[in-house]
Amino acid sequence: MLTDVEVRSKKTEVAITIAILMASIPLFLAFSLLVLSSFSKEMMTNLSLESFRFTIENWINVLQGKLAFTGGIRQNILKYTFNTALVALGVAGVVTLISALSGYALSRMNFRGRKFLLMFLLMLHAFPGVALIVGVYLLYRLSLPSSPSLVTTFSFMYVIVARAALEVPMATWLMKGFFDSIPWEIEWSAIVDGASRIRVWRKILLPLIKPGIAAILLFGFLAGWQDLIYVRTFLVEPTLATYIEANLEAEYSHMPLIAAAGTLYLLPTIIFFLTSQKLLLETHSGGIKG
Amino acid sequence: MKKYSNLFQLSFFLTPALVIIIVFYLLPLVLTVYMSFTPIRNWNTERYLSQFIGSYNYYRIYHMVKYDPIFRQVMINTIIFVLITLIVNVFGGLLISLATYFINEKSSSTLRLVWLLPRMSPIAVYSLVWYYFFHGSEIGTLNSLLLKLGIIDKPIVLGQGVIPWGPWSIIVFINGLVGVSFGMIVFSSALSHIPRELVIAARVDGATNWSISRKILIPMIRWHILYVFTWQLLSLITSYAHTFLLIEWGLVNRDYGTTLSLYVFLTAFGRGEQDQGLAAAAATILAIIGTVLGFLTLKILKFERMIAKPRGDI
Repeated sequence: MLTDVEVRSKKTEVAITIAILMASIPLFLAFSLLVLSSFSKEMMTNLSLESFRFTIENWINVLQGKLAFTGGIRQNILKYTFNTALVALGVAGVVTLISALSGYALSRMNFRGRKFLLMFLLMLHAFPGVALIVGVYLLYRLSLPSSPSLVTTFSFMYVIVARAALEVPMATWLMKGFFDSIPWEIEWSAIVDGASRIRVWRKILLPLIKPGIAAILLFGFLAGWQDLIYVRTFLVEPTLATYIEANLEAEYSHMPLIAAAGTLYLLPTIIFFLTSQKLLLETHSGGIKG
Repeated sequence: MKKYSNLFQLSFFLTPALVIIIVFYLLPLVLTVYMSFTPIRNWNTERYLSQFIGSYNYYRIYHMVKYDPIFRQVMINTIIFVLITLIVNVFGGLLISLATYFINEKSSSTLRLVWLLPRMSPIAVYSLVWYYFFHGSEIGTLNSLLLKLGIIDKPIVLGQGVIPWGPWSIIVFINGLVGVSFGMIVFSSALSHIPRELVIAARVDGATNWSISRKILIPMIRWHILYVFTWQLLSLITSYAHTFLLIEWGLVNRDYGTTLSLYVFLTAFGRGEQDQGLAAAAATILAIIGTVLGFLTLKILKFERMIAKPRGDI
């Protein structure tokens, strides 16, 4: 690719870089102070170095489920982390499976209503979520199993599928884009030889769009992982999000401890950030190539 | 026979998506509209779900718009929030993507990644981070910064004390950053598709970054600007999760921070008296606004023309 390094002025480049760095300071500062505070006896957010006294006590306490240094309130944070991960993995799986199927049909098959369906999916993606959640909750109430022992399992399944549904329209568009980029000739010969579309999809195309599948899995995982509204509305069990929501303002909680819980919750995001930048930028550009 | 098998294969691929759309979009929508004609409250479905009260809930909203100061404030908040945040989103995204366009690839992708944080971090953590930042005591980062610089002599309680611009500026700032990263991603990807030759030729002729942006880059990504503008408009009308937390945690004043979508959520799921009939009526109105705006967006942006016929279908 051609670059214009040779013709642009080095000085302006440095000036611009500094300007954006300055603009990013609040963002950078706010996140780093959270992480730093989790390793400190007192909150670091007041920007004074005296407040920083290194300790890993907060982390030990959080992992042991203590909320304060004194008192007997115990919260099983490992269980909450597991719940959060379960929802995230479930959402990732459901979104990927459904969009891998529908994305193929929309990319490769010509049928009546195809254009309409594509436009309709875009409309759904932009549809006000709050207008749906009232109805989604009524549906949940009406379909709740009568036996109390099943309620927890049901609420997990429901929150996973309901949350996944929100991502399906966008994921289908993205998946369609990934299928579009595979040359048609590759599957053509197999179809001529008499293989069914389902077989071609499974044996030939899915292996070819592995990077796309990874991108959608990541997209779904992060959507499920970061969710607050759906888990607090539908899920009986607490997650990291509802734990932070409920305990931040509580009298007894020790602030740096909540910061440690927040950092724990942020950890997967950071890991994906550092390891899969390309995949992230790919999905977040939203499949709109103009 | 052939036709039958085609239909079978098509339904194999499309049924899961269609089922999920029907169950989690169309059916809830019907249920929401239905609930708006019932007096349902506190999720007491047995007692209220079969009662029909006509358009009473809509009449209540009409009445509230006219006489209820709290609801009127909700509407003012919504308008201010959506308009200002929209401007921040589009211009902020444009500014960052243009700026990173002019610096070397490596530092620009790192910087862009930092600006993805608001979009990617868990809602609770992102709100937590700004909760500390805007906290109304000495532990608040903004307060301690201003104290250190000697601009103020005691902490200001921005979200509760400085009415109405305190709460407004906090919710605009926090939601604004999330939208900025969306705009930035879209614009950066669009900019990277512009042939570099155009920029180089202009620069050889002595054009500055400013005039390159104004005369070449911005006109070439017009479609994307319109796309971000309309898309953000739609999503701002319905985003409430961060604001919900900040109000619950007491950082932002409830009366001056609540927007229409949060009002719907709180009326249906909030603490204390819940009134799902009223919430459903407001949700229906939001759904109508969303549908009309969404439809207009698709028409204006001519998305239909971008959909090519699938290749080589048999």
